[in-house]
Amino acid sequence: MSILRQGSTLIASVHTALDDSELERFRTDLVAQIGEHRSRGVIIDVAALDVIDSFAALTLRTIAEMARLRGARTVIVGIQPEVAFTMVRLGMGTGSIPTALDLEEGLALLTGGVDDGRRRP
Amino acid sequence: MTQTTPGQHLLSELVAHLREHRTRLREEWAERIQQAHLLAAMTPQEMAAETTSVYDNYVEVLETGSVEALQHYARDLSERIIPRGVETHEVVGIVLLLRDVLARSLFEKYQRDFGLLNQVLDAYEPAANRIANTVAVSFVDERERVIRQQQDAIRELSTPVLPVRERLLILPIIGVLDSDRARQLTEQLLAGIRRHRARVVVIDITGAPDVDVAVANHLVQTVDASRLMGASVIITGLSPKIAQTLVTIGVDLSKMNTIGDLQGGLEEAERLLGYAVTKKEDATLS
Amino acid sequence: MTRPQSADGADATASAGPLQEADDLTELQAIVRRVVGARVGTHPAAEDLVQETLTRVLAAAPSVDPGLLEPYAIVTAKNLVASMWRDDARKRRNQHRAADLRVPESPEAQALLGEERSAMASALGRLDEHERALLIEHELRGTDTRTIAEEEGTTPGAVAARLSRSRARLRVEYVLGLESGDPPTDRCRPVLLALSAADRRRQRELDAATHLFSCDFCGRLSEPLLARGQRQDGVLRIPVAADPDIVKARGSARELAGRLGFSRTDLTVLATAVSELCRNIVRFAGSGELLVELLDEPRPGVRVTARDRGPGIADLEAAMRDGVSTYGGLGLGLPGVRRLMDEFAISSEQGAGTTVTITIWGKDPST
Repeated sequence: MSILRQGSTLIASVHTALDDSELERFRTDLVAQIGEHRSRGVIIDVAALDVIDSFAALTLRTIAEMARLRGARTVIVGIQPEVAFTMVRLGMGTGSIPTALDLEEGLALLTGGVDDGRRRP
Repeated sequence: MTQTTPGQHLLSELVAHLREHRTRLREEWAERIQQAHLLAAMTPQEMAAETTSVYDNYVEVLETGSVEALQHYARDLSERIIPRGVETHEVVGIVLLLRDVLARSLFEKYQRDFGLLNQVLDAYEPAANRIANTVAVSFVDERERVIRQQQDAIRELSTPVLPVRERLLILPIIGVLDSDRARQLTEQLLAGIRRHRARVVVIDITGAPDVDVAVANHLVQTVDASRLMGASVIITGLSPKIAQTLVTIGVDLSKMNTIGDLQGGLEEAERLLGYAVTKKEDATLS
Repeated sequence: MTRPQSADGADATASAGPLQEADDLTELQAIVRRVVGARVGTHPAAEDLVQETLTRVLAAAPSVDPGLLEPYAIVTAKNLVASMWRDDARKRRNQHRAADLRVPESPEAQALLGEERSAMASALGRLDEHERALLIEHELRGTDTRTIAEEEGTTPGAVAARLSRSRARLRVEYVLGLESGDPPTDRCRPVLLALSAADRRRQRELDAATHLFSCDFCGRLSEPLLARGQRQDGVLRIPVAADPDIVKARGSARELAGRLGFSRTDLTVLATAVSELCRNIVRFAGSGELLVELLDEPRPGVRVTARDRGPGIADLEAAMRDGVSTYGGLGLGLPGVRRLMDEFAISSEQGAGTTVTITIWGKDPST
């Protein structure tokens, strides 16, 4: 996984399947950095995950909640079609965390790039 | 259990013979493949490499009696050559050719002792047939898999998901929905969202006469899964009857974006695309 | 059964087996019907016995020499008839306590379990040191054939061949141990071994067909051996004891199912369900194992059995109830897994462990 800073936004990407302890470490690292950089927004890119099970979904929700308490908004991006379908059948959502198709969409959502949809009507 | 039977003894003698004359026999085999115009799609280098591997695998099966390694190799080989149009008869043909080349060489070696020759061939034949079978079955299996993949691709192309404009998809549901079809529509819609980078999806169920509890559940799952991929869903053409079914299974209709008809749905979609970013709730999950 | 060989070996008929199958089957059916008829007459179960026999014979067909099919069909029919009489007798004995059959039978089951264990121990004891070491390395420690091959400086194919020979021997020694008696003749052991290894060449060399006819002992044992041999190939056994095993296990299940041509969605669903089950093992039992089997009837499918010897689940009903979220309720994620799968079964005993069996069938792409 990697965590990049872009202005007041943190972009965290997961590159391979993570086991539970790695997910917990990811959560700890990310939350620490949010505090450290006083970030306003967090994007978590999960495009590389071929499974998001109950624990992974819970971890994402926890991160978003802790980020919110520190004043940052979280967007989850890159959930694969099969993974999305499986998550809802399993009974998992991402709670009320905003989601977006990919990194670009996620950034647009966070920075309020309103004109994107209007550019080519 | 250490005594060896005559059959085993012969087989190991046979294996030693095939190893000793490996180069000559393999070349003879490759030549016969060429004469028979088999595997014309391969370059001479590839042919040399593959025939060597097949030869060694073949002898290993004779030696160990286990086809596991050969099976692996045959599947792997099939995967590589099927896309190049190699046919089943070619693959079976080359293995049978090898069987014959080796049988001939055994004949030459043992021709002076007919009794022994018969014994050797008795030991050789069942193993050789088993190898031919293994290779053929592996190839056919792999071919079926490829065909299945192609069918999937074709189905994908005939997807009913319609991109109306940038970032907007319509999924018109027409006809009777059963669970299987509903599942397929969902898969196609989700794939479509990614392919077209859709932000808003209009699911129009005007053309669906009836929706049972299972399908209604499915509809809700589809809405949730689309949201997880970052797309908002508008449902149009919801008949009072279907609305009732949704309420029965505990769906909170106020959390679903439902609009009477398709025209209204499209207008709402335009609005969402314009405001999608500022009105955050619309892009979030309940 | 050896037919005269054309001297140049150039006749291009591959194995004659599949083509003649239909004829063979009719012939076999007639034989089986005679055998069953002679023993049970017009008993209502006669036709069932015939069909069951044929099913078992067909399942074993790939691993036996064609010449062996007939004797194998006959011993199978005899065995089935015998076990039907046995069941009938037991039912009669237990009729007065039909209300609760399980309790009276439980000591018997216990004894059986003990017998099985000691049979396995003695079977392992009869293998030579190399065979034992290899089986332990692969089956228990989970080292793959490639790694073993590298260590021993040989090929994975050769290791696999040795493994399958060792398994075949272990199965023979195991069923012999259950019989707790030595086989009546010197030929028995080699014949059983050839059957267990599905080695048709060896079966033919030993004239196993004639032996099966004349030896009741081998007739009885041939069936469990062939039935066992069938299932070995498509089964994957994965030990689960720590976090990283969860990721590994779901990857292996996905890979195995991928061979069946499952859709991406089905693969993801399976991997997710496996992930949940493995987590429960690690969290609540510490360790356990996962068995992944490929099924082909009635259509391609995968069955996963997750079992542990952990504390068990006290209130199964509560565990299967959907919480507000999956981490509400008892937090086992089991209702979600049940929703994902086509079939779901769970059994748990406090203090003894939990077994969850899930099945997913490939979806027909033509609908």
